[in-house]
Amino acid sequence: MSFILSILIFFPVVAGILGFIVEKGSARVYGISIAAIEFILSLWLWMNFDSTSASMQFVEFFPIVKDFGINYYVGVDGISLFLVVMTTLMTLIGMTSMTIKTEIKNMVVTLLFLEMTMVGVFLALDAIVFYFFWELSLVPMLYIIGAWGGPLRVYASIKFFLYTFTGSLIMLVGMLFVAYSFYSITGVWSFALTDWYALKFDLNYQFWLFLAFFVGFAIKVPMFPFHTWLPYAHGQAPTIGSVILAAVLLKMGTYGFVRFSLPMFPDASVMMILPIAIISIIMIIYTAMVAYAQEDMKQVIAYSSVSHMGIIMLGIFAMNSQGITGSIFQMLSHGIVSGALFMLVGVIYDRTHTKIMSNFGGLATIMPKYALVFGIMLMASVGLPLTIGFVGEFLVLIGFYKVSPILTILAGTSIIVGAIYMLSVYKKSFFGEVTNEENKKLKDLNAKELWSFIPLVAIVIWLGIYPKPVLTPIDNSVQAMLSFMKEKAITPEAKNMIIATQAAKEAK
Amino acid sequence: MENLVYIALFAPLVSSLFAGLFAMSPRKTFVGVVSSLLLFISFISSAVLGYHIATTGANVHVTMMDWISVADLHIPFGFIADHVSVTMMVVVSLVSTIVHIYSIGYMDHDKSFNRFFSYLSAFVFSMLVLVMSDNFAGLFIGWEGVGVCSWLLIGFWYHKPDVSREENPSISPSWAANEAFIMNRIADLGMLVGLFIIFWSTGSLQYDVVFSQIPNLAPAVLTAAAMALFIGAMGKSAQFPLHTWLTDAMEGPTPVSALIHAATMVTAGVFLVIRANPIFSVTPEVSYFIAALGTFVAFFAASMALVNRDLKRIIAFSTLSQLGYMFAAAGLGAYWIALFHLAAHAFFKALLFLGAGNVMHAMHGELDIFKMGGLKKQMRWTYAYMGLASLALAGIPPLAGFFSKDAIIETAFNEGTLILWAMLVITAGMTAFYSFRQVFLTFLGDERYKEFGIHPHEMYGFVLIAMSPLAILAVIAGFFRDWFNSFIIHLLPNYEMSENTHHLALILGAIVLVVAVSGIILAYKKYAKGLKRSEKTENGLIYKLLINQYYIPKIYEALITKPYAEISKLMWTKVDMRIVDATVDGIAKFIYKSGDGSRKMQTGNLSNYLNWMAGGALALLFIAVASSVIG
Repeated sequence: MSFILSILIFFPVVAGILGFIVEKGSARVYGISIAAIEFILSLWLWMNFDSTSASMQFVEFFPIVKDFGINYYVGVDGISLFLVVMTTLMTLIGMTSMTIKTEIKNMVVTLLFLEMTMVGVFLALDAIVFYFFWELSLVPMLYIIGAWGGPLRVYASIKFFLYTFTGSLIMLVGMLFVAYSFYSITGVWSFALTDWYALKFDLNYQFWLFLAFFVGFAIKVPMFPFHTWLPYAHGQAPTIGSVILAAVLLKMGTYGFVRFSLPMFPDASVMMILPIAIISIIMIIYTAMVAYAQEDMKQVIAYSSVSHMGIIMLGIFAMNSQGITGSIFQMLSHGIVSGALFMLVGVIYDRTHTKIMSNFGGLATIMPKYALVFGIMLMASVGLPLTIGFVGEFLVLIGFYKVSPILTILAGTSIIVGAIYMLSVYKKSFFGEVTNEENKKLKDLNAKELWSFIPLVAIVIWLGIYPKPVLTPIDNSVQAMLSFMKEKAITPEAKNMIIATQAAKEAK
Repeated sequence: MENLVYIALFAPLVSSLFAGLFAMSPRKTFVGVVSSLLLFISFISSAVLGYHIATTGANVHVTMMDWISVADLHIPFGFIADHVSVTMMVVVSLVSTIVHIYSIGYMDHDKSFNRFFSYLSAFVFSMLVLVMSDNFAGLFIGWEGVGVCSWLLIGFWYHKPDVSREENPSISPSWAANEAFIMNRIADLGMLVGLFIIFWSTGSLQYDVVFSQIPNLAPAVLTAAAMALFIGAMGKSAQFPLHTWLTDAMEGPTPVSALIHAATMVTAGVFLVIRANPIFSVTPEVSYFIAALGTFVAFFAASMALVNRDLKRIIAFSTLSQLGYMFAAAGLGAYWIALFHLAAHAFFKALLFLGAGNVMHAMHGELDIFKMGGLKKQMRWTYAYMGLASLALAGIPPLAGFFSKDAIIETAFNEGTLILWAMLVITAGMTAFYSFRQVFLTFLGDERYKEFGIHPHEMYGFVLIAMSPLAILAVIAGFFRDWFNSFIIHLLPNYEMSENTHHLALILGAIVLVVAVSGIILAYKKYAKGLKRSEKTENGLIYKLLINQYYIPKIYEALITKPYAEISKLMWTKVDMRIVDATVDGIAKFIYKSGDGSRKMQTGNLSNYLNWMAGGALALLFIAVASSVIG
């Protein structure tokens, strides 16, 4: 299977188009089967991935527009591998747990289309291919929010679309400029990332290019103060939309920083550590407080996502392997946990048609299994050791401590403020007396729901106890990237700041 | 021997998972029995390990597998049974086994019986991970694990609604649970920072590597690490100002209070200081701070216990106070004495709490000692147990507390810290007073409970038998002091009194004893005959201050909880919605409006277009002229 990456990218969309001719009643089953095959394919990729190697694997390359150096160029390394696996997993689980009744066929096709764009973003090694999938991912999400969303769905979906689209356009300008620079130096056009990595810009150029990419990525992450599209999108999106949005789409932004900004502009990245750390800390503390003030359960999870993305951003700019590997692990962990939390909100919304916490109370008595799963995800979300949430958070904080103890202590308050809003959600919804008579008739998780949660719970515990199979490949690629960055950096500050452990090892 | 380490550690986990299987099914006695048996197995393994270590002097060290391994950071799951950890293992598993058996009786009528055992065993597992880990990160796993179990168990009766602070000072079990968790998290941040400092200065989190690197480290680094670790310890061991959660934690079922909030978990902070003694012994400023804070808390907590009317809260304050003693000892460098007091305290305090549980069971959940009295008749065994435990707590010879507490007070004298010494002596008197005030008000005097139509009865026989090992240990543990000293100094630095103190030992002991006995006599005079309340005292300033815990919970609410909620609300409604989001929408609206406005230029009327064109040409001309003039 030498074309495994292309199969991974295009299988869902081909199957999705064929899905139009599938009978409406079996659309869901069809979608689940396709997502399952896709997931198995991604597992196959992982099994055959050489985790001792840090370089790009399963590379495919063929020219599209030769004169402009635009190629279909894809590959996978430790950094992108698990994001792909997480994408296919969350699509599968999201589709399995889906409770949408109307236009189910359209939803299945849309999701499969979305899956292509997400996998494409993580596998692309050509900037144009990357940009193509990046922008294309907006369309299905726009449709999901706009067609199946709540009362404010049109406002929310347009806001989401325009906001992120504007950011991406600025990023596109940056990309074109990089390609032009490449052309003016070498005389040929290329959009291949591996070619771009070799470019050394002076500090001034690095700074402006960094900013151009920053705008595109930061809105996607979303970083403060560009985050306000997110609560609307989550608030209006159907459960499946929120799951994919939180689990995968946000990660595209942070992935972009790791794939583009760091290796292309190492000096600018080091220069920007302080401002980004400050924004990250604002994200962590400020949005955690905003989350605490919410009355709607789903909004709490939405704001908590921003808070957790703050931790991820901080780790990326730690400029050492602990921080960046921790960040990528935290992307996976947040994907699983926030996805699960949004699904959990969906469960109660399906039953009561409300997400306002004052309508709940005492749910633990009525729905013990639900309370148990929610409790486990809560603990993972607050970063309890031996759950998936701890590993990433711990690594990020320990990594960033090397950069700045004071900022790390401020960022570390995430373990406190995170506990405050999550425990408050749990207390309001699950503890106390059953205040709402109607809630007494609520049914606990049914078999379908239970089977969507069991794999997630298993992963949360497995990767909490034994994260090594995932950490090692990530770490290899991250260390290779760091030694490359250290090599490439032109300012002494950047050379000092970037810690490449592997280089030191090899020197010995 | 390696297998024994695994059995001791994992038997409680098996027990927890087993009980967890039945968590949602109706009460089954065998769940409790199986759990207790598994815990007993864990105890036996720990005891055998202890014997092995005592006889051979060799540690048992196992490394199970890698946990987190990134770049130069390697954290394995490694466990060690050495002199310190095996002492903790024996104490923890013994008290846990007894509490498990006790709970079969105590939780008899609770519909969540099975779930209770699952949580309780999970706690024991976490606690064992905490004490057995061979590195700081593993300790942190246990540290957070016991925190979660404590949260689950304090909030065990989660269905109770919130009430006002006047009605119930802890508001509700779920409120108390969250308070405990969040307050511990504040301290845990300190602990994490300690870990970070240690890692970046030594390159490892393994105890042996870290401790061997200490001579190479700068004093400032060591001080920072010690301080950060101690902040962590302050949370778990509920030291001022992070102490309020412990008394509120009494909302949990009483066996939980006995096991977690008296005998084991709250001593984790003391354990940390003892475990990391190579760091603390080279940071005298931090150590002195620990000793001073410990002494202050000993006194401060005892003062609040003097007037409290809640049976469990009095014991909780007393726990706080005794933790203060332990920190005083550890801070003064007498690590082994701190550990000895920790073990002795675990026995008699667990006994005291379980006794309180019997009383509570008999009184149908009533906790106000002003509504009790004369229970001696119905509950002779419980009276004996609680009396014994209180004597031990008060430090009356030859019971356990006498040997351990006396050594701490003597240490304070030996170090020349006379203020600390005096405070600890006064506290010993207060301890004796409030312990016996409680015993007398509960068991002697007029039978006030009759007014409330309560018919008390003694606890089940098997429960009373299960408590007996604790009673025996509360009596005899003190005699093992010299043996324990020779055992533990293989790992901990020995602490010897100076020649001078040695000469004065008898006098010093006599002073403490006289103070303690006077405390008991005072309590007897005031309360043994019956309850006489005096309006004047109860309206006095000091009484009000003490009964309201120096108003600290209220201050926290006014200065932290409420403002946090209000600022959060403000951040959301004003900053996030009105400023950040409104700006975004404003920009969008501006673009939309300006587009909408300029659309009106497109009238389709040719003469209009000509006007615009002329205007444009003029403007361009003007700009050209202006720029040439300036340029």
